[in-house]
Amino acid sequence: MSARPATARPDAVDAPEAAYPLAELPLTQPLNALAIDTSSDVLGLALLREGTLAGAQYDAIGRRTTQEILPRIGGLLAAAGLSPAELDVLVVARGPGSFTGTRIGMAVALTFAQVTGCPLVGVDTLRVLAAQAEPVEGGAVPVLLNCARDEVYFARYRWQGGALARETGMALRRLESLLPELAGAPVRLRRFNPGMGTSPEQEAAFAALPSLPLRHSEPDAVRLMAVGLGRYLAEPGRDWRHVEPIYLKSEAFRTWRPAT
Amino acid sequence: MSATARRAGEAPLGLAIDTTFDDTSVALLRGRREVLANITLSQYADHAEFGGVVPERASRKHLEAIHPLIGAALREAGSPHAPLALSDVDYVAVSNLPGLLGSILVGMTVAKSLAFLLERPLIGINHIEAHPYANFLVHGDLPFPLVHLVAAGGHTVLIHQEDHFRWRIVGRSVDDAAGECVDKVAKMFGHPMPGGPVVDRLAMEHAPGPYEFPRPMLADPGLDFSFSGLKTAMLYFLRDHGLPADGSAAHGEGPSEGPVLAAFFAAVADVLVGKTLRAARRLGVPAVTVSGGLAASRKLRRRFEAACAEAGMTLYYPPPKLCTDNAAMVGCLAAYRYEAGRVDDLTLEGYPNLPM
Repeated sequence: MSARPATARPDAVDAPEAAYPLAELPLTQPLNALAIDTSSDVLGLALLREGTLAGAQYDAIGRRTTQEILPRIGGLLAAAGLSPAELDVLVVARGPGSFTGTRIGMAVALTFAQVTGCPLVGVDTLRVLAAQAEPVEGGAVPVLLNCARDEVYFARYRWQGGALARETGMALRRLESLLPELAGAPVRLRRFNPGMGTSPEQEAAFAALPSLPLRHSEPDAVRLMAVGLGRYLAEPGRDWRHVEPIYLKSEAFRTWRPAT
Repeated sequence: MSATARRAGEAPLGLAIDTTFDDTSVALLRGRREVLANITLSQYADHAEFGGVVPERASRKHLEAIHPLIGAALREAGSPHAPLALSDVDYVAVSNLPGLLGSILVGMTVAKSLAFLLERPLIGINHIEAHPYANFLVHGDLPFPLVHLVAAGGHTVLIHQEDHFRWRIVGRSVDDAAGECVDKVAKMFGHPMPGGPVVDRLAMEHAPGPYEFPRPMLADPGLDFSFSGLKTAMLYFLRDHGLPADGSAAHGEGPSEGPVLAAFFAAVADVLVGKTLRAARRLGVPAVTVSGGLAASRKLRRRFEAACAEAGMTLYYPPPKLCTDNAAMVGCLAAYRYEAGRVDDLTLEGYPNLPM
């Protein structure tokens, strides 16, 4: 099968992709799968045992993620009577979002994949947000995820044949430059660390954005699992080892120099 | 995922990771000091365009590099007939302080994941405590007590060690580390980071000539250092000689950089040597070790050798490769920790600062 690495191509528009809730997944085999999301201040974990949801967590624990993630994964697996070696698929949120947070989940997932040889599916966080929206055939799903200050991560998806197609590249945008483009259309807005460096005017702009009706209230790890498994099941034979984080923002915003 | 049974009498195998600053390093050690692999990927070139380390870029590079480096270390450590596997590893060690927190978290999360998956102990290591173990790697079990000078990137500290795990910091830089001072002064002469190697070369090739720079806090009876003033002294020196301090001084008129930088480094070395021997004498310790990136300086080593010979003090020095950040020194300290049963659990935290 194809050995194409799943590298980040934030500027590319990708093909329609299933965004099923778990019950609608075309599970042809009783998969064991673990989904990990640390891309925001929330630690999200979901575990599938033989195709059935065996456990899920979605807790805002912020900086404690680094201490709690492995004990929690261990607890989930133990409760389901699974060992890491029995996992068939790993799903990880690869950003955009919190840089350090995303790296923690990626570091765990990449190490699991290195040790167990398990296929690893990286999922864009914006797609998980889009998958929360109520499916309306032909309906647009503009997704906004706050970065720092007045910047947001943005992409627009559209429901096509029961699947979500991304219509734009994923991009880091200034909120004020994006507003005219949205033209009052309902959006899927997700904010973590609300108020982080934003001005009262920007807070008001966020508050004024109309929201899309949602089918799922949270972009939790079960949604991540569904999106990731949908992607995996569409191409099970592909080389799933290579996943890179998506940052969208240049790393050069802060330079360490010896103090002067 | 059970470990392959160790051959009878074979010492435990440790995997060590260091991502505290801008180098990604992975080592595999058999026992306390048989280094089977010690691979370090330096990011200096990746940060050169910014004139300093970009923390976010360092973190990103660590995540890109760490898993391939682990694979490379396993290949290097094994033989074609008996390749090493992760399941052969008996414990996983990682530096969890001090350094850039975002960088530390990458190595720490990978180490925790390995410890969890392999069902092996996790050992969190203080990177500064580990530097002197570069000497244990090459010189064997050194007798305690010891005074260590650690002159590493962001830290210049004097450590009094009475036994493994029993140590305290008896002196530290109150402002810049010595290495930072050398980097900044080298930059005034147009030399990119790291400035240590070029300053060391000039200090070896040139006599200080008529130039004289202050020895900050050397007259002070304490054991702390200060290097910020020495940097300022160089700025005044350049100003007084009508030279720019923007990196073009090396090519201007007036004093040539060789003797000036030799004189400057003589001041740095005098302070480091003087304070280290003072600490040893005051604490009644007969032997000192030197480690950290600046220990790779040949000039500094010569000064230490001469001073220790004169003072009747035993001196331990690691080879240059083990002076700069490397995971082998982390693995060496971790081997002693593993033997002593001093291990951590998966809730280990990372810290940017060195505790007092």
